[in-house]
Amino acid sequence: MNDPLTALLDTLLPGDGADWPAAGAHGLAARMQDLAKGVPDGPIALATILKALPEGFADLGQDQREDVLRRIETNMPKDFDATVTAAYNSYYTDPHIRDVIERLTGYENRPPQPEGYALEPFDESLLDAVKARGPIWRQVP
Amino acid sequence: MNETADIAIVGAGAAGLAFAWAVAAPGVRVVVLEAGGHVEQRRAPSLEPDWELALQGAYNANPNVRRGPADYPVDDTESAIRPAIFNAVGGSTIRWGAHFPRFRPSDFRRRSLDGVAGDWPVNYDDVELFYDLNDRMMGVSGLSGDPGNPPRSPRPCPPLPLCAATEKLAAGFDRLGWHWWPSDAAILSEARKGRAACNNCGPCSVGCPRHARASADVAYLEAAEAKGVELRSGSVVTGLELAGNGRDVTGLRYVDSEGSKTLSCGQVVLAGNALGNARLLGDVLDHPLFGRGLMLHPTAIVTGLFEDKLQSWKGPFGSSLVCQEFYENDAAHGFVGGFQLQALRGQGPLTTAQGGYGLRVPWGRDHAGSFDARFGRSVSLTVTCDDLPEDENRIAVHLTKRDKVGLPVPRMIYRVGENSDRMLRFGIDRATDALRAAGAKDIAVNPLTRNAGFHLMGTARMGSDDSHGVTDSQGRVYGMGNLSIVDASTFVTAAAVNPTPTLQALALRAAYAMRDARVPEKATA
Repeated sequence: MNDPLTALLDTLLPGDGADWPAAGAHGLAARMQDLAKGVPDGPIALATILKALPEGFADLGQDQREDVLRRIETNMPKDFDATVTAAYNSYYTDPHIRDVIERLTGYENRPPQPEGYALEPFDESLLDAVKARGPIWRQVP
Repeated sequence: MNETADIAIVGAGAAGLAFAWAVAAPGVRVVVLEAGGHVEQRRAPSLEPDWELALQGAYNANPNVRRGPADYPVDDTESAIRPAIFNAVGGSTIRWGAHFPRFRPSDFRRRSLDGVAGDWPVNYDDVELFYDLNDRMMGVSGLSGDPGNPPRSPRPCPPLPLCAATEKLAAGFDRLGWHWWPSDAAILSEARKGRAACNNCGPCSVGCPRHARASADVAYLEAAEAKGVELRSGSVVTGLELAGNGRDVTGLRYVDSEGSKTLSCGQVVLAGNALGNARLLGDVLDHPLFGRGLMLHPTAIVTGLFEDKLQSWKGPFGSSLVCQEFYENDAAHGFVGGFQLQALRGQGPLTTAQGGYGLRVPWGRDHAGSFDARFGRSVSLTVTCDDLPEDENRIAVHLTKRDKVGLPVPRMIYRVGENSDRMLRFGIDRATDALRAAGAKDIAVNPLTRNAGFHLMGTARMGSDDSHGVTDSQGRVYGMGNLSIVDASTFVTAAAVNPTPTLQALALRAAYAMRDARVPEKATA
């Protein structure tokens, strides 16, 4: 099995065995450590969670590793939350994962700007029923 | 540098810059002191692949998390809702959604109509012309004819488009026979000089590189400077100098990159929000109402998850449509006042996973499936509640704790009142009804958005006399000779809508009154 951080990532974000890769196996450990620096108290939180992992954590099965992490989450909610934040940050900003998102959802792997998105102009006929009711605001003497 | 001003304004946000532009006149020296710097929105994070990380860092709404160079600490340990403000030229309009609704006439008369809060010393008709002027300056898109509001002038731009998700919502409201209407938004649907039309990118809250989405700096600063207004950014006001009578402010002490200075002033206008004003006036103003009666907009967010791939990230996240079916007071509802349901589009992938509206996608074996069920398939409704002023909800200042410039740390003390709590519960049920009617297969509820302290109202409320208010109808502080407040802290009631159009309209009204009623006395130094 892998090092504890890779195992931690694979437990948090195990993928689905098809479209979505597991975060650790995808090689996101270094990026997660880097992005943890941008999370309030992130590096300390990550170190604390790694330290709380039992010996042999990486050799456990997914179910057992999830059980371990749920106990840690209960006991160290703040540190665990920061760790999950850093893990998600690394996963969902990874270019390959963004390719997966594009393929599955149509959300293009590019920044929102400068291209933006096309939408049809507002169709005022949608409001016919609302207009037919007449005013509903309260008159003030 | 000239250290005198006829009119000195503290804060270059929505109110401060609107006021500066309107009060400027030949021969009148207007200086705006702003603690923050300029934000170059032309290089906004939305141009970068990792733009969503900016929402957690430099564009985080909470100053205690963001910790930018101009941010000061806010003690929110006694508040159910955390502060959400931005300190820069443009103020909190740098990172807003530009939703731009008006108060209704009844919002100005809650004491007379419903027996709660107070009546404003102004009414809707007094403010309407200034709403219209401000709409033109900010660049508002929308559609007149809303049966939920008094008739208003043609909107400067046509309404912003709906998307597949918000069309479903509109259809849901129609099925229930409820009101809905396209939002007034300070976002251009058509280009104007120097500003492109909105291209529906979504994340308005990281700034707009097209300047389609208005912010106070984009809308007002250039026009104000053309009239001679001087902006001094990076200038942190640290105190007021008072004359011997204790009533007249003779100058403002401030710190900039060169050191400590004093600006002598004829008139002083505070536009730094309830927290900023408390830092400066905590030791100066002993009016019993000052700091009291803090109103926020307690907000629940109800999210509908749909089976269809709606691509709900398309379009400005917070400005599409509103439902005001439950806006006016109705005794049958079991609470006083009303609320608005405001549509929120889906978010980016990272923010969706992190639970931007309060509901994180769970980690573990179900993560991928849960993400797929949410991303692009969700649309949300806020339940934005009209809050009541309660004496114990307040902004105070620490007696001993100071920030880096020596000002007292403000304390935000707020609990959700019983009436607002009942309204939230009722509103969550109605939002659920609407989303079900729209076809949502699953509903997720965030019963109280903690990071929703963006509308800080009521701590320097205006009143017809000093027993009913801290300021008069033009924001002039009772008992002080030349001090005014022109931000949302002067509000008497909160209404159930975003405050920016109203606070800007009131600032314009106060500015014209100051400009027209007097030739400012020249500063003494």
